[in-house]
Amino acid sequence: MDGGMGAPPPEPVTYLCGDCGADNTLKPGDVIQCRECGYRILYKKRTRRIVQFEAR
Amino acid sequence: MDNVSYQRFPTVRIRDMKDDVLKFELRDTDASIANALRRIMIAEVPTLAIDLVEIETNSSVLNDEFLAHRLGLIPIISDRAMEMRLSRDCDACDGDGRCEYCSIEFHLSVKCTGDQTLDVTSFDLQSSDPTVVPVDCAGRAADLGGFDSSEQRGILIVKLRKGQELKLRAIARKGIGKDHAKWSPAATVTFQYEPDIHINEALMETLSLEEKQEWVESSPTKVFELDPATQQVVVVDPEAYTYDEEVLKKAEAMGKPGLVEIYSKEDSFIFTVESTGAVKASQMFLNAIEILKSKLDAVRLSFDTEEADDQFGELGAHMRGGGI
Repeated sequence: MDGGMGAPPPEPVTYLCGDCGADNTLKPGDVIQCRECGYRILYKKRTRRIVQFEAR
Repeated sequence: MDNVSYQRFPTVRIRDMKDDVLKFELRDTDASIANALRRIMIAEVPTLAIDLVEIETNSSVLNDEFLAHRLGLIPIISDRAMEMRLSRDCDACDGDGRCEYCSIEFHLSVKCTGDQTLDVTSFDLQSSDPTVVPVDCAGRAADLGGFDSSEQRGILIVKLRKGQELKLRAIARKGIGKDHAKWSPAATVTFQYEPDIHINEALMETLSLEEKQEWVESSPTKVFELDPATQQVVVVDPEAYTYDEEVLKKAEAMGKPGLVEIYSKEDSFIFTVESTGAVKASQMFLNAIEILKSKLDAVRLSFDTEEADDQFGELGAHMRGGGI
């Protein structure tokens, strides 16, 4: 139940600033704010994985 | 019990045959056969269409599902479709696009680097099989007579601005229009009954010239004409008659019921077949006959045997109406 085996180490995720467009690397618990301009809306990037769709 | 045979020997007379349009007369059969052929051409003649899209990069303005849907609707040259397998019935593969019997792989990789907007079209789709390409692609016009398109521009998929990129893999599969309209090879298939028009000449002669002219003009389509030399009403184009009954109503209103009698010939049909380009219109009709024959064989088979639906094989989709 402790999840020590399955849980991978928390990976920092890169977000894009909604104002200046700068890359921001955030870890869990970090303040959601752009390091460059202080804007508080950050966008998640598209997955690097291939995504599959049915063409219907 | 009398031995009456209901066998008939239908005939076909071709009026006009181009790659994308076919016009012909079907005679000596009934509406059930004519309509069966029409419906098979629309919904059951197999073609190829993109069915699975794996998107690696998409920074265009259209979202992934929107693009996948657009790719699916692109008509693809499907001369091989009749021989191919439906991917759900293919036991030689897992349907990942690298199977020669059931799928064709396409790659698309475009990035806009210039300042001008870049059009991504069906020409940018790279096929794994040179005989299976989107319709209207360069080369086909020269090779096969082609569908006449004055400007070769391809089918627009999306437009990219500077820095935007699109990279994907698409898998085309065989399918039928019943499953999804993208697999239908038909733009339109219609048939009309041939009209049988009889003018009551005796009654017509009781009309004045003005009345004749008025009656001729009551038809919304140009079926009749007043011959200026003989002042007689003549049928110029019976097929222009749309069964609107306007001339019958007009005759009634003029107090001359029975001036003309119009019947539809119940055993004579005029077909117009228009293709999307996936299959030639003439081939579409031949394929439809082939499918109708195999469906009838399947019905005959089920009378003789007590087996389950397995006996239909690939026809199962046709018998049960598609789906997986």
